[in-house]
Amino acid sequence: MPKKSYIIGGVIIVLAMAMAMYSFKSTLTPYVTVGEAKASKRPVQVAGIAVKGTERYDLKTNNFLFTLREDGGAQMLVEYDGPRPGNFDDATKVVAIGKYEPTKQVFTAKELLVKCPTKYEGRVKGE
Amino acid sequence: MSNLGQVTMWLGLIAIGISSVCYAVVVSGKDSEVAKNAARLSFVAFSVFVTIASMLLMHFILNHEFVYSYVARYSSRDLSLEYLVSSFWAGQEGSFLLWVLLGAWLGIFLMFRARNMEPHVMLIYNLNNVFLMILLIKQSPFHMLPLPPPDGNGLNMLLQDPWMVIHPPIVFLGYAAFTIPFAYAVSALWRREYDAWIKPALPWTAFAFVSLGAGIIIGGYWSYKVLGWGGYWGWDPVENASLLPWLAGMALMHGMILQKTRGKLRKTNFMLAAFSFLLVIYCTFLTRSGVLADFSVHSFVDLGITGWLVIFMFAFIAISIFLFVTRAKEIPVSKKGENPSYFSREFGLIAAMILLCLSTLVTGLGTSAPLITRMLEQASKVSTEFYVNTNLPLALFMLLLLSFVPLMAWGKNSFSKVGAKAKWAGAGAVVALVITLLNGYPDMEAPLLSLGVLLLSILGGAVTGMNLLLATKLIRKKITISSGAIAHLGVGLMFLGIVASSAYDRSEKLLLPQDTVKSVLGYEIMLNGPQFSREGKGMRLHFPLDIKRRESQFTAKPDIYSERGRGGKMQRFTHPHIRKGLMSDLYISPLDFEPGQEKGSGNSLDLKRGNKIAFHDYELEFTGFDVSGMMGQDARNMTVGANIVASYKGDDRATLKPVITMSKKHGPSSPSSRVKLPGPDDAYLTLERIDAGAKTIGLVYEGPGSASEKSAEKSPPAVIAEVSIKPGMTVLWLGTFLILVGGSIAVVRRWPK
Repeated sequence: MPKKSYIIGGVIIVLAMAMAMYSFKSTLTPYVTVGEAKASKRPVQVAGIAVKGTERYDLKTNNFLFTLREDGGAQMLVEYDGPRPGNFDDATKVVAIGKYEPTKQVFTAKELLVKCPTKYEGRVKGE
Repeated sequence: MSNLGQVTMWLGLIAIGISSVCYAVVVSGKDSEVAKNAARLSFVAFSVFVTIASMLLMHFILNHEFVYSYVARYSSRDLSLEYLVSSFWAGQEGSFLLWVLLGAWLGIFLMFRARNMEPHVMLIYNLNNVFLMILLIKQSPFHMLPLPPPDGNGLNMLLQDPWMVIHPPIVFLGYAAFTIPFAYAVSALWRREYDAWIKPALPWTAFAFVSLGAGIIIGGYWSYKVLGWGGYWGWDPVENASLLPWLAGMALMHGMILQKTRGKLRKTNFMLAAFSFLLVIYCTFLTRSGVLADFSVHSFVDLGITGWLVIFMFAFIAISIFLFVTRAKEIPVSKKGENPSYFSREFGLIAAMILLCLSTLVTGLGTSAPLITRMLEQASKVSTEFYVNTNLPLALFMLLLLSFVPLMAWGKNSFSKVGAKAKWAGAGAVVALVITLLNGYPDMEAPLLSLGVLLLSILGGAVTGMNLLLATKLIRKKITISSGAIAHLGVGLMFLGIVASSAYDRSEKLLLPQDTVKSVLGYEIMLNGPQFSREGKGMRLHFPLDIKRRESQFTAKPDIYSERGRGGKMQRFTHPHIRKGLMSDLYISPLDFEPGQEKGSGNSLDLKRGNKIAFHDYELEFTGFDVSGMMGQDARNMTVGANIVASYKGDDRATLKPVITMSKKHGPSSPSSRVKLPGPDDAYLTLERIDAGAKTIGLVYEGPGSASEKSAEKSPPAVIAEVSIKPGMTVLWLGTFLILVGGSIAVVRRWPK
């Protein structure tokens, strides 16, 4: 290998890592409380329980809706544009990842994580 | 015998311990046949003990011996045979045992094939097995319960799928096999034979690559078929845990080929062999230690082996670094073609390996995000965009290389020669570009991402065209030399499938009332009467859908299965119906069932939660109970409210909150506050009854038209369904299949004669 190639290769790798670090920082979703989520402009995650009996499909948008209540008692309405997770009713904890929209007064979740009481649920992939 | 299984495991640990000690004696130079034979015998004994332990566990599962906690947690009496068998690896302890079992069986082959490197290779291989046995005894599937329950918890419904029966064994076969190149690489440095290990280790590397790859792909296929979320890859930590060693192993395989043919990359290959193995352990640590419990859709729990796993990992890191540092100066640098041009096969291969390593690095970084951020501030995970944004540019460069590097010879190449051969790549690129643009410019969240997807499609086309030509040529010559071309053709097709399915899928959610034809995405869909059937512990709700498109007509049968979960609450499992097609799949996922209900027009009406009904001039929707009034009351009464969203002729929306107070002794007592409906009329609602179980409330209406007689019209039952058209799925699966076919041919090709 010529010496030049080391330099060129090094520059490319450094650039790639810099891009990765930038992307890493910008896509981190911190865990926050309901109050902080309502004030935050960037995507966040909020953990809580789904208030029993609030989960339903909005017949207008056909989106899944439920009220999420965190430990402190603060609540918010969560809207999710996807299928209701299979183990939703059995969940001990629900984590909603997304952004709060003040105009609609609803937290639009891009992703829902559902925790079950069992030790290991879900895929057995390379655990 | 109190606990036969546990005793067998201890015997296995002792046997592998003896085998290691004996191999260490042989390595230290006392070339005694006695020690060697003792080492071999002990290894066979270890394999036998592990096999007996596995047979015992299987026996306990098949005979419902719920005195064993593991059997009680993952199986039950009502499971069919194939799912009883797969209960063996439904939990962590059992899958660890499976890993050790497959490693023990592979070890027998390795012992007979390693020839003069056997003592060193087997010593390293055994060390790994000693560690795994310690973990296994600590986290044993043979823990007993003081009182056996009458029945077990059963197997998670989602895992009751044929693909999930075979997925874990295939993944763990890959995990176990990745120990072998590492054992060879360490032996090579130890024995100062820097090239001799490549030939025997190369087929093992290809084998590990194929089995782990097959495991990953089956997992993705299961995810698509069973989970009903419509995707096949979610960058979840568990998925990444199998992807990381696979990517590193792919880089290792290419590096070993380069070393075999050109005598290059001796140091790099050692490091890659170490990395791919260490990543297996690191990912095991990530997914089994509970550190990611809050960041994955999978629940993990710390079973108290984290400390061991960390010790285990650092021990191997220490061995690798020590050997590398002590030998680095001696490792000869290749003299052959010291300055290859940039336009050569060597350079292309090295560039590809760098890209694979970078991809491993960024994916590993993202997966480890919760650990990294935990040290700085608060633990956070990265969203899936991170993985896409970082891997997409790497994939583009990778495809660029794949569209011309395979044409090149070793050493110097002329532009004109390669250019002339690369016509097919150009043709493929043009075809892909035209097809893509006919379907519209990709519409992603960010303009750069859209451009990236378009480029991905063009380059995917180029790789497909180029390697299609190459593969047909080589297959005619000799099937074994076509391994690379077939795998690379698979890569091209896979990326075309990824582009089509992620940028061009169309999806619509709609309400399908019974016997009403709705048109969606060019299909006419009608719901026939939904049917219930009892199944196992639960109930299955079938939604037969008559679907018409132009001339063709068929019935789709998606369903929702629900059963009472372990917590006593209902769990629901959605089963999509997938109609596969060569160009695109039709994917129908039922989201929710709306049983029919009466339309009220008299004075009283029943309202089910989540349903909107038209009532006189109003539209009413009961959105949920309000139990905030239950706090701080006296012990005799409780107050419950209902939230009702009401609008008058489509305007004047308001949320009404009538409440009802009940005495706990005598049921409902005073009907409560009257609430005024929105709009100009004097109209009121009173909450009369609540039924928390059926999520229904009874209301009484007073106002214009309230005296009119009741008419009982029923609104029909309906299903909310998501209908999607996912193009390119068949191409995607075909591509992944070809990658595995190419890899399998490589195993045969590199098998030492």
